[in-house]
Amino acid sequence: MAAATDTQNLVAPPARVDFVGIGYAVVLSILIIFPLLVVGTWAFTDVWRYPNVVPQQFGLRFWNQTLTRADVWSALWLSLQLSTVVTLLSAAICLPAAYAFARMKFPGRNVLFFSFLAGHAFPKFGLLVAIAAIFLQLNLIGTFWGVVLIQLVGTLLFMIWIPVAAFQSVDRRMEEAARDVGASPLRVFWSITLPQAGPTIAAAILLSFVGTFYETEGAWLIGAPGIRTMPVLMITFINNQIVVQYGAVLSVLLWVPSFIALLFARRVIGGGAFARGFGA
Amino acid sequence: MTPVSETAAPEPLDQNEDHRRPYGLLLVAVPVLLVVWLVIWPIISAIQRTVWQPTADRGYAFSLDTYAFFFSDRYSLDNLTVTLWTTGMCAFLLLLICLPIALYLRFSTGKLPAYVQSLAIFPMFVPSIILAYAFIRVLGPNGMVDILLNSVGLPKIRTPYLTPWGPVIGLVWDNIPLTVLILLAGLGNVSNQSIEAARDVGARWGQVLWHIILPRIGNSILVALSFSVLGIFSSFTLPYVLGPAAPEMMGPFMQRTFREVNDPQMAITQAVITFGFCIVFGLFYVRSVAKNQGT
Repeated sequence: MAAATDTQNLVAPPARVDFVGIGYAVVLSILIIFPLLVVGTWAFTDVWRYPNVVPQQFGLRFWNQTLTRADVWSALWLSLQLSTVVTLLSAAICLPAAYAFARMKFPGRNVLFFSFLAGHAFPKFGLLVAIAAIFLQLNLIGTFWGVVLIQLVGTLLFMIWIPVAAFQSVDRRMEEAARDVGASPLRVFWSITLPQAGPTIAAAILLSFVGTFYETEGAWLIGAPGIRTMPVLMITFINNQIVVQYGAVLSVLLWVPSFIALLFARRVIGGGAFARGFGA
Repeated sequence: MTPVSETAAPEPLDQNEDHRRPYGLLLVAVPVLLVVWLVIWPIISAIQRTVWQPTADRGYAFSLDTYAFFFSDRYSLDNLTVTLWTTGMCAFLLLLICLPIALYLRFSTGKLPAYVQSLAIFPMFVPSIILAYAFIRVLGPNGMVDILLNSVGLPKIRTPYLTPWGPVIGLVWDNIPLTVLILLAGLGNVSNQSIEAARDVGARWGQVLWHIILPRIGNSILVALSFSVLGIFSSFTLPYVLGPAAPEMMGPFMQRTFREVNDPQMAITQAVITFGFCIVFGLFYVRSVAKNQGT
């Protein structure tokens, strides 16, 4: 990434108009933003019959109808419960482990560290089917805790690797200086380590909450029919095509947590660090 | 990460770490056991259960019956074929779309490239279920594209919804961000000097791309491909919602075999077959990540 000015001189002399860039900006805007705008428009539409280009009547009628459906509320409540339980459990078991990986020496450290990749080295749904076969024997199919377990496994890699990087980037000298003036290890952790690693860890926790909230495949395979999370309900709405607007309203509602994640996770995802986590 | 500082650490600190040895293992035990129980064990157990099957006289014997059935069953083979076709087509389209974007982003600066980059990364924050819904509203029958075509007097499109192209379009859309990010990280390793040197001796852009850039990002291209292949081969949500009912991709096929046909044995066989097709990509992916993290 060195010498940004060099590249500018190399490729785009200041006077030239960046036609390639304009082309990409326009095409990507159409392909990526436009479909979402259509969904957003449907959510605030009361009547929109083919072939009108704009809806005949805008309104909030279907927000009211969607939000008074009992299945929507129970799915939302269940999804929030699941995401909270999974994220808390994941933080409780992963953060201490991340600290150990970043700071302690123990036998087998490297092998164990990379063992978390195992879950990502296999096609995901195949792995879910293999897990489901085991859950079948344990009577965990269709139960809350079955879904918690399967979603918990999905969070492990992020919840360990991102915090490990965060702990490793904390300046050891500051910690040692604090120890030298007589602070206890716990005090050092609380006052020096945590504030520096905190924001990245918070981003990891948020990512895992949002990721769990949208997790569809495990919930569908393990949870059905007893456990109907928000994305699972959304699939049934789409398949049954009852009322177009239900899906649109749910999409807009569902997108809110994702948007919050987008704002918070920019620091984690920006730069090459994130891509490098995927082996680039 | 920093071998120098570790070896140079003062003696008392090292002893302190030694003293903590068992605690480190204790702290990582729970997540590691979880991986063993819910990733490694299911895979071993799946392989073992599909080759070591119960016999009529209540015993167990080595048998490849379920595999033989899969590879002789027309419907299963069709599903496998459509999965391979979808994966290959997605990988091809992803490279075709993402490599030019990544090249453009690497060699330009300013506000416009920043906008293009945020657009390319945006799909990462659109859950695939919302994407599926948006797809239907835009490309589905009487969708937005039909509306717009109709308004200028053109005929409707043949909708890709519920055809094999449906999942392809959705999966490509979904995988653009990671592919661009991985390729961009790879392009970071191509030095400006090497390109300038080639340009100085009169190389054209096509030659620079072919002889200087591509050889250096070959590894990143393979990583991006492995990652998308692993994700796409057994994808479930998008093929389930957007794809045809038959032939279906391995993801929906396994789900239906497991839940609706209620034949876990056959579903596991299908899962092991998907593992087999992806093993090369999985191993390559793990190797590259491990090499990169370089502990």
